[in-house]
Amino acid sequence: MAFIALILLVLCHLLSGYGLLTLFTIRQKTAITLALALILGVAVASLVPFVLQLCFIPLTPATVFGSLVLAGLLLNIRTLLRIGKTAGSFDRSFRERWGRFVRECGRRVRAFHLLPYEIPFVLILGFLLFVSVWRCYYLPPTSRDALSGPEAIAEYAVREHTMINSFFNVDLWTTNNQFKSPFLISLQIIYKMAGFPFGQIWLSLIFISFTVLLYQVLKEKLHPIIAGLLLLLFTMEPELYAYSFMILYDYSNMVFLFLSLYFLFDYCKSKTSATLYFAGLLMGIATYIRSETLALALFFIPVLILSQWREKYSYRQMVLSVVLFLLPAVIAYYLTVSLYIGHYLPVHYAIGNLVNQHLSDLQPLFKRYGDIGTRLLTGELALHLWGYFMFIWAALFLLEGVLLRRYNRDARNWLYAIGAIFVGLGLLGYLLPLFDLTDTTKRGLFKVLPLMLLYMANNGVLHRLSAWIGQWENAVPVLQTSPGKAPLRSTYGKLSKTTGNKQPDKRAGKTPPPPPDKKSPAPGRKKRK
Amino acid sequence: MKIFLLTVVSFLAVILVLNAGYYKTWFVDKPMQYWADFQKQKDDTVGIQGIMTGRFGLPYTICVKVKEVLTKKKVKDAVILFEPNSYYRDSLHMPLRVPEPAVFYYYTGLKGVWTTSAEVNKANYLVRVSSKGVSLDEIKSPAQLQQLLANYRKFTPIL
Repeated sequence: MAFIALILLVLCHLLSGYGLLTLFTIRQKTAITLALALILGVAVASLVPFVLQLCFIPLTPATVFGSLVLAGLLLNIRTLLRIGKTAGSFDRSFRERWGRFVRECGRRVRAFHLLPYEIPFVLILGFLLFVSVWRCYYLPPTSRDALSGPEAIAEYAVREHTMINSFFNVDLWTTNNQFKSPFLISLQIIYKMAGFPFGQIWLSLIFISFTVLLYQVLKEKLHPIIAGLLLLLFTMEPELYAYSFMILYDYSNMVFLFLSLYFLFDYCKSKTSATLYFAGLLMGIATYIRSETLALALFFIPVLILSQWREKYSYRQMVLSVVLFLLPAVIAYYLTVSLYIGHYLPVHYAIGNLVNQHLSDLQPLFKRYGDIGTRLLTGELALHLWGYFMFIWAALFLLEGVLLRRYNRDARNWLYAIGAIFVGLGLLGYLLPLFDLTDTTKRGLFKVLPLMLLYMANNGVLHRLSAWIGQWENAVPVLQTSPGKAPLRSTYGKLSKTTGNKQPDKRAGKTPPPPPDKKSPAPGRKKRK
Repeated sequence: MKIFLLTVVSFLAVILVLNAGYYKTWFVDKPMQYWADFQKQKDDTVGIQGIMTGRFGLPYTICVKVKEVLTKKKVKDAVILFEPNSYYRDSLHMPLRVPEPAVFYYYTGLKGVWTTSAEVNKANYLVRVSSKGVSLDEIKSPAQLQQLLANYRKFTPIL
């Protein structure tokens, strides 16, 4: 029964996620589209019980699952309306569309295949994924942060049909976890109602989708062997792997922050307005999961402004872009912190009291940066947390600097992102003493990990190695695609073109680049005078 | 032939990573151990309570026993006072950590308090742990409660 419920939930997530992708005209390879749709679908689901709660609607299976389906349909309204427009020839049009859709799916499935040398990585990653999924399914949530807040609230919300339940009558002086985002509570409610006594399995959906997405993204830049190896090193980071089956906020926050930056950097190249709005939406979801992400989002405004400045955008459009990028994050912050905590929860939370009262003393700030560097990024603890991932990243960074003496633009973007998160986490630790080093900051560093991975995907040394292998092999599997628009050229892609392989697109099952979006020109196409 | 060679390289790369320094220790201790757990867990017939007992250990077992006793006694509005965890650590030298009130409520649906809780005066039962075992004692009067709190005053509640 639970298995059927899971399939229905996955379909529901795919539907709503696909609807969002369609709304923002985001087109990707099939595997990336599916992974993105699932991740986005989980995010949409996480909003449903929360919104119902804000509207004082009882959280029953009927209201929750009914709203999930409704959300999926509403998000696909654009597709539905398109069908409606051809009402005169509805039957023919409908049949044609479905025929085309089925043929396209068949073509993509046929195009999707693994090369033999990808199999070892797929097997070991599959093993790691399976073990993680099993633990997620079989074992109850264990982290104290979940048990003393969101998990307990969700458990009683299922019984009492409200998030504001008897849990808040308990003595809560030992915890502040009841004030954490409703993201986790909502998803736990949905999955508990679906028949999973411990909920949690939504985390596996995010984990699997994110792994698939990363592999595809890496393969666009690097030879599949190097892509597989990097992804294996990423997945085998002990601390990160542990949080792939231990529900908390940081893994999901990492995923959405990464996706937001991925599409933001893509916007910097493609200047497609929908991509920017989509990046903003993803940043909003990341902020919904962890409210302090709003502060980190501010660090990426210079990236946006700089990219538009280079293209001579007008000041008005630059301001508009920044506002539109930040707006979802601000709304998410308002809903979860100001509205929900301030006006819905029966217990008071004095957020002002959490801020460091001695801001003129900068010594703790530098100490925090020092501690992050010496304890969390290097040394014995770092090895136990991240394996050799950080060291490999540092070695590749140095190697590129020494051997090539320059970093390409994509690499520079990701390096900036890594630096921004590092600076941001230190600042947050300084501003909020509760943001301790070995728990909150440590988990906060999850955000840096996929950024490091993407830096490695754009590392010049690895590009050359990939190109060399590809040339030797004389059969390069993929070319790089920008997420949304025109194909981009990596070193690997360039070299692969010269090898004369003319079928990489077909093999990768890539969606052809969509036509330019004439209805919504990129903000700031008007040039500065 | 080249594909075959690259496949061999891939296999070797995976084997190398799995046997490299700390990865080897981690892989054996975690994913392989989890796999061994899976082999047992997939066939076991324990229910949700059994899984939770296995996962949360002795503290959870104590909480469930407390609930069972109170249910048997048909006690309503019980508020359970727990001894400080620092008492177990420093005085009894036991590695036991009883849950905080929020987690106790999640486990049992019962209200619990610690010795420094604002609502400690509502406590009417005490969970006492000793080397001989665990007992649930009724607190019969405010004076008795104050005496108990005085006994534990030097032990700060810790998570």
